[in-house]
Amino acid sequence: MSDTTQFRVMDFDCPTCASTVERALSNVDGVQHVEVHYATGRIEIEYDDGVAEPDTFAQTIENQGYTPQPA
Amino acid sequence: MNTQSITQYYRKHWKAIVTATSGLLYGGGWSLGYLTGFDTTGAAILVLATIVGGYDIAKTAYHEVTNRTLGIKTLVTLAAIGAIVIGEYWEAAAVVFLFSLGSYLEGRTMRKTRTALQELLEMTPDTATVRRDGELQEIPAREVEEGEVVVVKPGGKIPVDGDVVDGESAVNQAPVTGESAPVHKADGDEVYAGTVNQEGALEIRTTGAGSDTTLERIIRRVEEAQEAQSPTESLIDRFARYYTPGVIALAIGAYAITQNAILSLTLLVIGCPGALVIGPPVSIVSAIGNAARSGVLMKGGEHLERAGKIDLVAFDKTGTLTKGESTVADVEGFGVADDEVLSLAATAEKKSEHHLADAIVDTARERPTAATDGGATIAQADDTDASLQSIPDPDDFDVVAGKGVIAHTDGHEVVVGNRALLDDRDIDVPSRIADYVREHEKRGETVVHVIRDGDIIGAIALRDELREAAPGVVAALQDAGIETVMLTGDNERTAAAVAEEVGIDDYRAELLPEDKQSTIEELQTDGHVVAMVGDGINDAPSLATADVGIAMGAAGTDTAIETADMALMADDLERIPYAVKLSKATRWNVLENVGLAVLTVTVLLAGVLTSYVTLAAGMLVHEASVLAVILNGMRLLRY
Repeated sequence: MSDTTQFRVMDFDCPTCASTVERALSNVDGVQHVEVHYATGRIEIEYDDGVAEPDTFAQTIENQGYTPQPA
Repeated sequence: MNTQSITQYYRKHWKAIVTATSGLLYGGGWSLGYLTGFDTTGAAILVLATIVGGYDIAKTAYHEVTNRTLGIKTLVTLAAIGAIVIGEYWEAAAVVFLFSLGSYLEGRTMRKTRTALQELLEMTPDTATVRRDGELQEIPAREVEEGEVVVVKPGGKIPVDGDVVDGESAVNQAPVTGESAPVHKADGDEVYAGTVNQEGALEIRTTGAGSDTTLERIIRRVEEAQEAQSPTESLIDRFARYYTPGVIALAIGAYAITQNAILSLTLLVIGCPGALVIGPPVSIVSAIGNAARSGVLMKGGEHLERAGKIDLVAFDKTGTLTKGESTVADVEGFGVADDEVLSLAATAEKKSEHHLADAIVDTARERPTAATDGGATIAQADDTDASLQSIPDPDDFDVVAGKGVIAHTDGHEVVVGNRALLDDRDIDVPSRIADYVREHEKRGETVVHVIRDGDIIGAIALRDELREAAPGVVAALQDAGIETVMLTGDNERTAAAVAEEVGIDDYRAELLPEDKQSTIEELQTDGHVVAMVGDGINDAPSLATADVGIAMGAAGTDTAIETADMALMADDLERIPYAVKLSKATRWNVLENVGLAVLTVTVLLAGVLTSYVTLAAGMLVHEASVLAVILNGMRLLRY
């Protein structure tokens, strides 16, 4: 089943940083759609909940050097 | 401080710590080199400064590369490594330190923009007191179910959307509507989650809780608006996609020709059009956030940019410039008693939903009661006020759109309507009646004729008071160089009188609903960028046709929030000059930011290519320009 989750990242310091996180998240297994908004810091992930876990997304965001917060 | 809290502190502030450490090392290394000659120790410290400051940048750069995006962090990393390779330790450390400092400050300031809305969300309390099984229980606000009764103490925040079922109070609705004055609430009134109950206890029947409240919907809409790209942003994004690879190609080309490594590395540093990409979104996010806190919902950058070009505002008259509550100003019988005219008109209009009909029926009900029908009054249901007259139903009833009604009662045909309806039915108007009508229309009143079996037996003059704020709002727009036009279905004379009273530049009278839309189209053909202000429901087509549709009093109506380009949550006309001026300020702000960014990039490119600007200086100017556009954009938060 498809599910959606949101995160908020307050420390994006440039628009490219947002696109990097967007690419990284879309490479995670089970992720169907990702939107990362530089301006509001909002991240929306649509994923297959049989394959992916929201915790993995938080880890991925952190790996890119940004601090995810629950939205 | 125990280990855990140190770790937490570090996690929270690591960007500041890293920047400060790299800055200290950089300062130390530079001083050592300056004081003692450029010896190995100084160089080593500078390399250390580069590594400390650059580690996180390089890590992100690695991710950028593996994700195949080309970002500034990759460019900075390449530049720093390059500088160390050619022995320019000072440049390497300076570039890394300035970049860290710049992005730390950028992150901090952007956070302010991003949290502007969060404050609104925090207005909603986490728990609610509900009446369940006859007793009061405190439960999480999200778990309140529709139809449940929530009790809010004086001074408490209202946790849900709902209707007041008991109690009376003044409620501060600023978080939702932006109005600073509290609004009186009693039985049957709608209240919103996040607003503050200031005086008495209220019991509220829930209509929406959790994410299904007006405040949450507003915030979602505002975020979508902030995330939607404006035309300027998309243009810049397309440009940026070619700019960065372009500059890298230039850097490689320049090295191949001049063998000047510093020049090529400096090109890398300025290869990200930072200020250009960051400026417009910051302006727009700040403006939309500011508007939201003042009770104005803006649909997005595209609409905001268009709103910045408005040069004409068209107002619907009824309910926008006026209060939309007509009252009977005068009743005149011609050969029959005034009272008879009113009661006949009331019967004919009883089933009509037109606002003029309501006024006539209400006035007829409130007439001093003739003391003869006491028996009937006692027999009436207890929800009817005994002091009110009852109005008999008509036998049949037809509406002639935009003209009036035709009804039958007691074997008579009764027609209530305007001049156009009289013309349709070939009814002659005696000069005495025409004079009466003219006189009242000159006062800005609307007159309806009452005809019984083909003879005019009287006329009723109705008055819709101007909103107190209307003349001031029109004047404020005129001061800002914006033309104002009033659109109304009223006749020419009434319209002219109201237009003069409100001080509006121009008016269009006798418009049917669909005419309003074509009037807007005509104004656009004349070259105007037109904003239309209306109520969001009846005026929906003209709001959609206008370049910018502004809906008033949108708090209770989801359609208005969804469809209008701008929605004023409160029924407050005074927000219009604010919204229009904010849009104009935003448009200028975006232009300033783009201008500053283009200027910076041009000067930097020229400076680098003529070798006046090297690594550290290039980075300093680049970061300074980014901070400048962010701070400039954030001015709109406090507009």
